[in-house]
Amino acid sequence: MNLQVKIKDAIFDNPVCVASGTWSYEEKYSDAKKIRKLGAIIPKTFTLNRQQGNPPPRVAETASGMINSIGIENEGADYFISDKLPQLKKLRVPIILSISGKTTDEFILLAEKLNSDGEIKGIEINLSCPNLGHKVLVAQDARLTEETVTAVRKVSRHILIAKLSPNVTDITEIAKSAETAGADAVSLVNTFNALAIDIKTRKSKIGNITGGLSGPAIKPAALYMVYKTRQAIRLPIIAMGGIADSADALEFIIAGANMVAVGTASFLNPEAPLEVLSGIEKYMKENKINNISALTGSLKTQ
Amino acid sequence: MLNCSYKAKIISNKKVSRNFFILKLESPSGFKKPVPGQFINVRVNEGTLPFFRRPFSIYRADPFLEILYAIVGKGTEFLSHKKKGEILSILGPLGKGFSLPAKGIRQIVFIAGGVGLGPFLIYADKLKEIKANKVLLYGARAGDLIPPLEDFRKNGFKVCLSTEDGSKGKKGRVNVLFDNIDKEEKQSALYTCGPKPMMKAVKDFAVHYDLPAQGSFEEIMACGIGTCLGCAVQTVAGYQTVCEDGPVFNLSDIVF
Ligand SMILES: Cc1cc2nc3c(=O)[nH]c(=O)nc-3n(C[C@H](O)[C@H](O)[C@H](O)COP(=O)(O)OP(=O)(O)OC[C@H]3O[C@@H](n4cnc5c(N)ncnc54)[C@H](O)[C@@H]3O)c2cc1C
Ligand SMILES: Cc1cc2nc3c(=O)[nH]c(=O)nc-3n(C[C@H](O)[C@H](O)[C@H](O)COP(=O)(O)O)c2cc1C
Ligand code: FES
Repeated sequence: MNLQVKIKDAIFDNPVCVASGTWSYEEKYSDAKKIRKLGAIIPKTFTLNRQQGNPPPRVAETASGMINSIGIENEGADYFISDKLPQLKKLRVPIILSISGKTTDEFILLAEKLNSDGEIKGIEINLSCPNLGHKVLVAQDARLTEETVTAVRKVSRHILIAKLSPNVTDITEIAKSAETAGADAVSLVNTFNALAIDIKTRKSKIGNITGGLSGPAIKPAALYMVYKTRQAIRLPIIAMGGIADSADALEFIIAGANMVAVGTASFLNPEAPLEVLSGIEKYMKENKINNISALTGSLKTQ
Repeated sequence: MLNCSYKAKIISNKKVSRNFFILKLESPSGFKKPVPGQFINVRVNEGTLPFFRRPFSIYRADPFLEILYAIVGKGTEFLSHKKKGEILSILGPLGKGFSLPAKGIRQIVFIAGGVGLGPFLIYADKLKEIKANKVLLYGARAGDLIPPLEDFRKNGFKVCLSTEDGSKGKKGRVNVLFDNIDKEEKQSALYTCGPKPMMKAVKDFAVHYDLPAQGSFEEIMACGIGTCLGCAVQTVAGYQTVCEDGPVFNLSDIVF
């Protein structure tokens, strides 16, 4: 059985990843052998400089999902590269690093810092970031997306994956801009803009008032976007949004995803990423599918 | 995949007072010996309702893993329906617990309100051998909301009670019991858990009399293991996570 996936010249043993911001560093994971089964890990986004994050409360649960507004709390690129990354590498699992910048220049600096690293498998460009002087997020504007990806493409030697936001009128337009700008893959989706109110206090349940919705609640909407994007571009797609078990993951693959990532579901069930993988293997065996590529985009529309 | 993820079998889940339950679990094999103040994060129901796990202090760890909890919403309601023999998914022991009182401390004071009693019995067990004057100051809204406290007495604690309606002990909030604290000698160590205003009162008292004081804090948690950075609390050193950097902090470090 062949579960291998290729993004440009990078080969992943299987399509199952863990999504950015929902997976921890190595010391909490007992069994490195098990982790090594994963296709790739995508650690939390880091930024050029330290960010303290948003005021609490930062998370709220909703029907079959959660809202978060963490504010990309992180210690900055230099700390990440010198302290966190070596730990991650010890796991010997393919790593895709997620970066975000406040300006195009910050993205360029981040990409340059990673050029000397010969071990990482790729860079995910988290485009859900404000762009100075613009009201929208980069990921909400086709031109800004193209500008940002083009700039990173110019300086980076790594495989580039543009992470798209679902908070747009037409995600295929943004995906096309990323493709035009030279991205090697796209990942979708990030969280959906959301709000939850405590009616007793009439305050938002989130300190930053609004946040992003994730978890099973968003799965059908995310699946729709993956399906539409598959028809619009040729690049590989890393799909995420509410994947909690292998059936969820298979839906995304059938809709056109080349890889899938488990996010929020890991909080409920830490075994979810591995269960997704073994479930996909079982499904392929049962359905006599020898190569995962035969499943990708195999949605029957008749 | 996580080194703190276990399945635990329910030994019993019993109501022990008008609002409190004690859930007893078989301690799963490999479960680390908890430090008092550490907690477990419990999946109270299969499926996605409620969506988050629920954190509970470890009330006792030997011979069984116990939590003391009150029904305050749907999650604890679900938990109260769990029966003997059922299996729960738990993560633990999580977070940083209390640090033992420094040498020379003559009085150890636990100050708890409502479900804030949660981390203290395991700590009382642990302090059994330590010779000191030990006091539990416990505040509840009403007399029938007070959980059984014999085990604290058995561990050598003097128990002082306050109720808001005056039905048992001294009338008022737990701060009406602060005169039991030996403030002159500066040899008391304070440990507290309960509503934030109560812990703030303990902090102000401790600062005023220059006494060491630690508290166990709460925030809504999505993961409970330091991954999501969702349970941030403001400290003098910036945001820290309640689940991993805490839940126990020095009171002087917390920005109330
Ligand atoms: C480290 C830690 C240790 C705890 N130890 C105990 C314990 O020993 N015994 C006990 O009875 N309770 C304990 N709690 C509180 C317990 O987790 C909440 O009472 C429980 O999560 C409420 O769930 P619910 O669905 O019943 O209520 P909900 O309907 O979710 O909420 C009811 C109320 O509880 C608050 N709440 C919800 N989730 C949390 C949370 N994760 N932390 C704090 N407050 C919350 C809500 O804001 C609301 O005011 C602890 C909390 C933490 C963080
Ligand atoms: C707590 C939390 C933190 C997240 N942090 C990041 C992040 O730093 N960078 C990023 O690109 N996506 C982040 N995400 C989004 C996830 O990677 C994922 O795209 C989204 O949650 C949808 O997938 P899911 O429903 O499986 O979680 C975060 C999500 C959550 C719930
Ligand atoms: S609950 Fe996720 S970091 Fe504390």
